[in-house]
Amino acid sequence: MNAHEPLLVKRPTGISGVDDVTRGGLPADGATLVMGEPGAGKTVLGLQILGRAVERGEGGVFLSFEESRSQVQRDAESFTWGRALRDPDRLVVLEGQDSRHTEIAGAFDLEALLAALDASAQRVGASWVVLDGIDRLLQLQPDTRTAVDQVGRIDEWARNTGRSVLLTGKHAGTTGSTGPNHLEGVEFLLSTVLVLSARVEEQRLNRRFRVAKYRGSSHAADALAMLIDDDGIHLPYSEPVPDNVPEVPRERVSSGIGRLDEILGGGFYRGSSTLISGQPGTAKTTLATAFAAAAGQRGERALFLSFDEFSGQIIRDTASVGIDLQSHIDSGTLRIHARAAWAAQVEEHYRQLLRQVDDFQPHCLVIDPISALLKSSGHDSTFIAIERILARARGTGITTVLTSLSNTDDPVSETTLSHASTLADTWIVLQYQAHEGERNRSLSVVKSRGTAHSNQVREVLISSRGVMLEEVFQYGSQVLMGTARLEKEREMAEAREARALERTRRQRDLERQIEQTRSRMDQAGTELEQLQRQLGEETAAQSDHDHAAERHHRHVLQRRGEDNSHSANAGGTEDGT
Amino acid sequence: MTAANREDIDHGGRLLLFVTGEAPRSRRARTNLRNVLKARGGDPDQVVEIDLLRQPERAIRHRMFATPALLRTDAAGTESVLYGDLSDSVRLHRFLDDLPDEET
Repeated sequence: MNAHEPLLVKRPTGISGVDDVTRGGLPADGATLVMGEPGAGKTVLGLQILGRAVERGEGGVFLSFEESRSQVQRDAESFTWGRALRDPDRLVVLEGQDSRHTEIAGAFDLEALLAALDASAQRVGASWVVLDGIDRLLQLQPDTRTAVDQVGRIDEWARNTGRSVLLTGKHAGTTGSTGPNHLEGVEFLLSTVLVLSARVEEQRLNRRFRVAKYRGSSHAADALAMLIDDDGIHLPYSEPVPDNVPEVPRERVSSGIGRLDEILGGGFYRGSSTLISGQPGTAKTTLATAFAAAAGQRGERALFLSFDEFSGQIIRDTASVGIDLQSHIDSGTLRIHARAAWAAQVEEHYRQLLRQVDDFQPHCLVIDPISALLKSSGHDSTFIAIERILARARGTGITTVLTSLSNTDDPVSETTLSHASTLADTWIVLQYQAHEGERNRSLSVVKSRGTAHSNQVREVLISSRGVMLEEVFQYGSQVLMGTARLEKEREMAEAREARALERTRRQRDLERQIEQTRSRMDQAGTELEQLQRQLGEETAAQSDHDHAAERHHRHVLQRRGEDNSHSANAGGTEDGT
Repeated sequence: MTAANREDIDHGGRLLLFVTGEAPRSRRARTNLRNVLKARGGDPDQVVEIDLLRQPERAIRHRMFATPALLRTDAAGTESVLYGDLSDSVRLHRFLDDLPDEET
């Protein structure tokens, strides 16, 4: 009954990725089935587990039904842990491959196998026993049921002797072969089944690792990318993504461009990620190197992962724009790691990057450009890789700058860009503004988490003194840069001057008119006075005359009164006087 | 068993029967082989029997991991293996027919 079932005890495989996804290893007593196509890495998995066991001072048995002892040893020699497998006191390599003519005449079992394994395992104190290519042995069995029974016996032996047994076999199901599936049923019998696969995609072999079944244990169920290099098997994405960031730093880190720092409120947040996207030649790399150089100036380590250019090229090109990388390389604060994107799978780049990060422990990280990962095979995992890189950087407080080539003709790269831009805390877009045959670089901060920033476009000026940001010239709805900006500025200045001149001229005109008017007014005043004076004189003269006339009249009346009786036409006489 | 003291002799042209103790299949194979050899007028003692439970290193040396199994080596040193309890007498006869230096 389940209640009496002993607790599952696990034995570490010594392969960190495998131990991650199996949450601690494979059953410490019992058999595990490893299925997969030829070339999927089954043999390497078995050998590496043994190599690691031997390194820990444990023993192991490797029985190959496919290869000779010398072939197995040669396989192992190509790995860093291969030497461990040469210790005859720790590892027994048995040959089970059979080129003899064989026939079946009745029922048989694998008791001899168990006897041989038991003797060998005891001799070296084996904790792990690997039976490589078990399908070769099982195909002798008359039917699947018998084969399953035999595997059941191996499992039982493993449980009874407290050993971990790995059974590897070709998986007919995934190869699409029509041949009999000798492992059919075995996968139902055993409590732990790993499935490895190898597919050629885009002329490159892509390997996957999957825990198909692990009874009594939690495990990662997804098919994970698997790499094999001189260290053996790696599952780059097996590590759980750290989701707890202890604190969100408020500290700002310089972008290396003073004006950009101002726009961003002091620079990038430490531990944040910034995406710089733009078309070819928009100075993405220059901006990224400015950031790396600034780190060096602060005495911080920066790791610059270049996918496009060799380090010599980068150093030379940036020196020409006044950014000094060489001295930081010399002082050991800067490391440039150049990789050819097409030469490896995304997972491999990812793994190498983590290796570099672990080794160098940088404060700042630049990946230039992250979009290059699309050129490498297996780019369906590019997004996973980017996410993991950023999560890792954030978790360890590394300030990251990613550049991305944007190309409107390429929808795939646009997708990556939009993906990366959602992940990044800050997104800076570099563009070309074409105007009258001239191309000028512009910069705009599209997004910056936790920062009040201006959306205004700025012109990027690159000279031998470094990178400068200029306020752009807004002309109506147009943004002018470069010569256009200068010309427009001059044009506008001239117009302003012309207008100023015009105004001055008009002012003077008016002043003159006023002057003229004033002088006309003075003239008129004088005239007025004259006229008034004339009028006065005139009036005075009139009144004198009037007085004289009155006096005369009175005089006449007086005289008329004196001789009223003798002259009727005195008036007539008067007129004549 | 007669096999016990003959297992280390050169088995060129001879038959090696690999068994695991007294397991039922091993016993059946032993009996089936003996009967067929007798029927063919052969000498059952030409068979060298090896018990892999007692000598597991011989399983390794002969790459004999499934039992019972009959190993035949011809004069040229070419080996052939017949797995099973030898209950399929047609196959067993054919396997023995090919033996070039079968004694009469």
